[in-house]
Amino acid sequence: MHINYFQELKQNRSGRAGLAVFFLLVCLALLAPLLAQYQPSDYTGPAFDPPSARHWLGTNDVGQDIWAHLLYGAQTSLTVGLGAALLSLLLSLVVGGSAALLEGVYDRLIMRLVDTLLVIPPVVMVILAAAYLRPGLWVLTLLLAAFMWPGGARLVRTQTLTLKGVAHVAAARTFGAGGRYLLVRHIVPDLGPILTAILIQNARRAVFMEAGLSFLGVSDPTLISWGKMMQYALKYSYLEVWKWWLLPAGAALSMTLTGLTLTGVTLEVILNPRLRKEVGHAGN
Amino acid sequence: MLEIKNLSVSYGTTEVLSGVDLKLEKGQSLAVIGESGAGKTTLGLSIMGLVRGSRRGEVIFAGKNLLSLPEDQLRPIRGKDLAMVVQNVEDALHPLYPVLEQVAEAVTVHGLKDKRSALKTALEYLYAAGLEYPQACAYPHQLSGGQKQRAILAMALVNDPGLIILDEPTASLDRRNKAEIIALLKKLAKDRALLVITHDLSTAAGLTERMAVLYGGRLVESGPTADLLANPRHPYTRGLLRSYPGLGSTKDLQGIPGRMEHGVPGCPFHPRCTQRVERCAKEVPPEVDQGGRMVACHRGGVVPLLEVRSVSKCFGRLKAVDQAQFTLYEGETLALVGESGSGKTTLARTVIGLLKADAGGIVLEGKEVTARTGDFCRRVQMVFQNPGESISHRLNVLQAVKEPLDIQGEGGGEERLDRVRKALDEVELPSDDAFLGRYPHHLSGGEAQRVAIARALVLNPKLIIADEPTSALDSSVQAKILKLLLNIQEKRGLAILLITHDLALARKVSDRLAVMHRGRIVEQGNTGDLIRRPKSRHTKRLMDFTI
Repeated sequence: MHINYFQELKQNRSGRAGLAVFFLLVCLALLAPLLAQYQPSDYTGPAFDPPSARHWLGTNDVGQDIWAHLLYGAQTSLTVGLGAALLSLLLSLVVGGSAALLEGVYDRLIMRLVDTLLVIPPVVMVILAAAYLRPGLWVLTLLLAAFMWPGGARLVRTQTLTLKGVAHVAAARTFGAGGRYLLVRHIVPDLGPILTAILIQNARRAVFMEAGLSFLGVSDPTLISWGKMMQYALKYSYLEVWKWWLLPAGAALSMTLTGLTLTGVTLEVILNPRLRKEVGHAGN
Repeated sequence: MLEIKNLSVSYGTTEVLSGVDLKLEKGQSLAVIGESGAGKTTLGLSIMGLVRGSRRGEVIFAGKNLLSLPEDQLRPIRGKDLAMVVQNVEDALHPLYPVLEQVAEAVTVHGLKDKRSALKTALEYLYAAGLEYPQACAYPHQLSGGQKQRAILAMALVNDPGLIILDEPTASLDRRNKAEIIALLKKLAKDRALLVITHDLSTAAGLTERMAVLYGGRLVESGPTADLLANPRHPYTRGLLRSYPGLGSTKDLQGIPGRMEHGVPGCPFHPRCTQRVERCAKEVPPEVDQGGRMVACHRGGVVPLLEVRSVSKCFGRLKAVDQAQFTLYEGETLALVGESGSGKTTLARTVIGLLKADAGGIVLEGKEVTARTGDFCRRVQMVFQNPGESISHRLNVLQAVKEPLDIQGEGGGEERLDRVRKALDEVELPSDDAFLGRYPHHLSGGEAQRVAIARALVLNPKLIIADEPTSALDSSVQAKILKLLLNIQEKRGLAILLITHDLALARKVSDRLAVMHRGRIVEQGNTGDLIRRPKSRHTKRLMDFTI
């Protein structure tokens, strides 16, 4: 059955909330240079200034504007989150898809590799690797993607195998369609919903892990990040400053994760026929 | 005894008979069959010299060419050596004389006997024809149709002619009278030559040893009656047999598209023929001897479209298809029947190329198929079991039906749209923009299957493999879909390989039947024969399960 997933998502209350939060964050991140008067690296005033007209959220221990940190931190979070999610999704698609299409020895070998990677706890591995590499923005993205793709690859492989046997793909073959046509016109579009679900799930994990790594202080020290803000703010928890330093960063991270989670859960309800109650938006 | 050489007859500018060759010896019987207007009666009348049109060629009877004999020399032969029973018993007898006198007149007019003995002979013949005393002296209006037919037969036979021409001898009789007249004719015409002109296949089959099929003034096929009826080779003969309700055939009646026209260049049947090639419109096909059968067809009769030669397919150790072999002819339905797991679908998928055969070959139109190229896709298409699955949920009707054209890169955008509309018209679906924009879930099961059929037809294939095309549909929709497939078959000469587990359904729609069991074809033959006399125990078992 043809379902318009985007319409369904918009119709669902939690889906709508998730999307709204997500778009708000994207806007804040994109408009950061306009919304903040200062660069996060600028020393703009005395340390530990409370919120004022000049510094909406006050200043930190070295006199940098916290509001600017918060906005640019959103940029980092979203870049790492989306970058790592897209990259790992691409890896999942290539590995899972090729395993399903080529089958045989290649499939068996590559899926055992995936199984092996799946049993390694990624959090520990990423922490170890990050501690060693001290990764900047892009290396961090690569690192996260490298540890996130195996789960998606399994899903993609399973779904592709199912789709390969579906009658409309067989029908297209009887019209003389070649492998590329089938992939581009039938299999990938039908994988769309599940790829979106994997993407959102990965993005959520990547945002969380980036924050965690920064909090632990194992990423590049110059990286502006909510995790790092929280790490520094915690050192000064005996001062008033945590209210406008620690709390906004924590709240922003929670909101991002909540937004992504809500979208993801709603999508799952829409995509999974067993969880779905009715089809509101079918067709074009 | 009678030899017709290159006989042509025309009325004005219309040529009714063209180049007919026939030969009939003493003691032989020949039926000339064909639909009305084919020139059958003209053939009979021109032998008798009663035809008014211009004639060419020769009709040699007992050494004399009847066409060149003057009327006064013809008259003694006509009615004496050469008798004809004309069509329409109502008009053939004079209403004012008793039948006995009319039969006697046939004797006296030739001056053979005096009136007294002529009446005696007439009475004998009437008696032999099954008319006894009171009826023999009755007036025609006092007799029933069957009795009049008997009287006319007596009139034809009374002079002991060497050749009898019967024009529709049983046309207006009921079944019982028909059977009696046929039995009577067989008895009386034992050692004479008999030419039966009829459109009634059962009369022809009952009376004659040989049969000639006349179409548009030309003979298209001739051969031994039983063989010709069981195994017609010319596409017209097959069409004629398909339109005739016989107890032996189980398939629904099918007609022949179009109507007969005289004076077409080339093969007379080519405007209605579904397997015509360019040559058919240009040259008249000569009659070619095919092992005792004369067939006038450029393509040598109905062509074999698909030959499956000992195809095998294994899945691991399971032999899903084991040495399957069959031939599918143009325009016919072959039903592949068997319980589930017998390998029907595997065989179908192997033929279309979704699965690769382990052994054996597939020959399409005389050419071995090695790869499933675009040409193959344009010839062979498939209809799947469940239309809900076989049409992608993301495609609307237009996109779905257009997909084969897109893949094969046929025509431009406009032409593709036209072809989609035409295909939808053909499956009796609306082809307006609103319908083209619908998605599969907007359609009922029957509509969706029609869309799937339209999609299979859009490349104009010659063969459709239908894998349980109706098992996902309820029975009223099933009937409509199957009727539709048969109509399309009739119109375009589409060959159908029907995969089904339902013997009762196969019986109604197939010309031939192949029964599969555990990957092997255990029995195949004409559907009617096979259903009446199944040989394999697997077929019998299938029949036991079918109510």
